[in-house]
Amino acid sequence: MTEQRRKVERGEGEYNLMSLKILKAEDRFIKFSIDGITPTIANALRRTLLDDIPKLAIDKVIFHHGQIRDREGNVYDSSLPLFDEIVAHRLSLVPLVSDPKMNFREECACEGKGCPLCTMSYSINKIGPAVVTSGDLQPMGNPDLTPADPDIPIVKLGPKQAILVTGEAIMGRGKTHTKWQATSGVFYKYHREFVVTKSELENWTSVKEKCPLSVISEDSKTIRFTDDDGCKAVRQLLDYPSVKVIEDDTQFIFQFETDGSYKAIDVLEYALKRLPQRLNTLLESLTTPD
Amino acid sequence: MIIPVRCFSCGKVVASDYVKFSDRIKDIRSNGREPTPEEISSTLDDLNVHRYCCRRMILSHTDLIDEVLPFS
Ligand SMILES: [Zn+2]
Ligand SMILES: [Zn+2]
Repeated sequence: MTEQRRKVERGEGEYNLMSLKILKAEDRFIKFSIDGITPTIANALRRTLLDDIPKLAIDKVIFHHGQIRDREGNVYDSSLPLFDEIVAHRLSLVPLVSDPKMNFREECACEGKGCPLCTMSYSINKIGPAVVTSGDLQPMGNPDLTPADPDIPIVKLGPKQAILVTGEAIMGRGKTHTKWQATSGVFYKYHREFVVTKSELENWTSVKEKCPLSVISEDSKTIRFTDDDGCKAVRQLLDYPSVKVIEDDTQFIFQFETDGSYKAIDVLEYALKRLPQRLNTLLESLTTPD
Repeated sequence: MIIPVRCFSCGKVVASDYVKFSDRIKDIRSNGREPTPEEISSTLDDLNVHRYCCRRMILSHTDLIDEVLPFS
């Protein structure tokens, strides 16, 4: 039996205090719970995390065509087994460690011409036979802004083949192109509680043994579990009709991972600052009829 | 042709995981047997590829770049 508890529906002028609790934080993964918001705000936060985080991605690639010589004077050919467009596209999708303080090109003091404040350049110079990987991208300028993942294969070079390219990376947001998407797998679910009447279900002891941290409260007659932390044994309780499931649509369990361009916690902090800005943009664009 | 850099559905970078995945499968095959479904599944889990959109990117891929390399 599923039942929804709606704490949010209160009288006018009453507000819930929002609280955020980090459940698990790694460099590229975070799980947290937010209490005291509505599903609309939860979804707005999800969309902000997905498509409104500024990050670096390669936007322009210049290929050297013709002969390429190495230091000994051996001649290599610049033709590749993949079309230049495909190589450029693959380079653009490589996650780059980003600096959130960098400007968007159209908002920069250089008026869109491109300068170190809004543009970061990379180069690849490699001779075959070899596999060209994202780790071959050499940052020109700030040495901290390296590819976040050095093992992505870009293209393969045969003998007598070589690649010599430069790429320009600029800041962008995920709503324009996936290459600017800093996060993936942004999910949320309701906090839910499983109320077990001990006399009706003997199974509760084994669930408690397997998931001791999932117990919310217990007295002589009932025991309450939650599956917020994802302990698998709690889910077995869904098979029993006597177990009462209460979903709470004011408390959300979020999780997402990043592609390495930022730490997960930094993305979350930025998104929470960005969300009110987005709502203000909406408010400002609304005009009241006279 | 060559493994796509990111998952088509969710945008996670899968290309580097594909290289690690195929290395481990090659290890198992070098023992003269095919990997079991459980081994394939746990290898993907170890690489933190949990969603099925990303798993199909890796599992359904055929690397053909070596076949076209002589003709470029
Ligand atoms: Zn500029
Ligand atoms: Zn995916």
